Amino acid sequence: MGITMNQLLPKSLEAIPGGPALLTSLDSLINWARSNSLWPLTFGTSCCAIEVMMAAGASHHDLARFGAEVARPSPRQADLLVVAGTIVKRMAPRLKVLYEQMAEPKYVIATGACAISGGPFIYESYATVRGVHEVIPVDVYVPGCPPRPEAFFYGLLALQRLIREGETIRKPGERKKPVLAALPPGITLEQIRSELIANLENKAVVNRYE
Amino acid sequence: MNNSDLESYLLSLDKDLVLREKSDRVSITVPSEKLLQVMTQLRHDRALTFDMLSAHTAIDWSNENKLELIYQLYSSEHHHRIMVGVYLNREAPVTFSLCSLWQIAEWQEREVFDMFGVRYQNHPDLRRILLEDEWQGHPLLKDYKDDFMLERPW
Ligand code: SF4
Repeated sequence: MGITMNQLLPKSLEAIPGGPALLTSLDSLINWARSNSLWPLTFGTSCCAIEVMMAAGASHHDLARFGAEVARPSPRQADLLVVAGTIVKRMAPRLKVLYEQMAEPKYVIATGACAISGGPFIYESYATVRGVHEVIPVDVYVPGCPPRPEAFFYGLLALQRLIREGETIRKPGERKKPVLAALPPGITLEQIRSELIANLENKAVVNRYE
Repeated sequence: MNNSDLESYLLSLDKDLVLREKSDRVSITVPSEKLLQVMTQLRHDRALTFDMLSAHTAIDWSNENKLELIYQLYSSEHHHRIMVGVYLNREAPVTFSLCSLWQIAEWQEREVFDMFGVRYQNHPDLRRILLEDEWQGHPLLKDYKDDFMLERPW
């Protein structure tokens, strides 16, 4: 797993002969750090943005628990693009430009039926793009219309898991298969909450000083 | 003026105005050839002073072969509202531009032109506003079709 390091570190730093151990752990350290500091770009085009970007970021649901609350207004400073809302044909080139302006490593979460497939506007619409994957590559899909903040967190945790397992980007520009982060059917709000709490505690996203 | 005063005042101005269904505001239908005259009165009559065009849109009544223009007006002086409707011929919708009365009408009429294909006479700059300049057709008309659109499978 030393590939990333060889490419990213200065030329003067060489791999230790016969000892990939240092690089391996550095890799997972970097992945751990990346996964817990996903800075989202402030980008919402319609109703999903209210639920996913605003409600999820506000104090009740508190995106800050997952290290993803630092919403940046500039794509240069962001590494997570949450496509929250309908993308129309005139918006698509702008979305692509925003995506290309983000620095590697960059991740994309498509939330809501619109961003996944065109959603309620798929038929008889002259303007709606049928899924953002037609414009930019997607890492995690979060279904819903709109998804609850809990469902969005579920998708965010799926992305964090992907990054920690080195699944998403090892080499810049190379992407793994996108995943669908759908809440299992029949799940209750209490179950989601307790799962999120267990996740937070076990994966050491936050530390409890006890 | 409250709504009933406004209604009787309007009817005394012009007997061709037709009152429409009751709602939170007065609504009238104007014959299309009288639009400019009635709108000028609504704008400049001291008792009315509708100085704000808050919305302008159109409705495609395709089964009656009519296109209806809707104007929502508000008076910031007297705090009353009115809705004005005008029926146009759907095949060749032409009407007068109201840019001289409300400047914002310029963009609102460009949008209605873009979406419904209504031609406004004396409009200073009648171009598409939301869609690309080379777009063919007017997508909010009920019979609009293009290659990108998917048919509903049911
Ligand atoms: S998926 Fe639903 S809630 Fe989300 S943007 Fe589309 S219509 Fe709005």
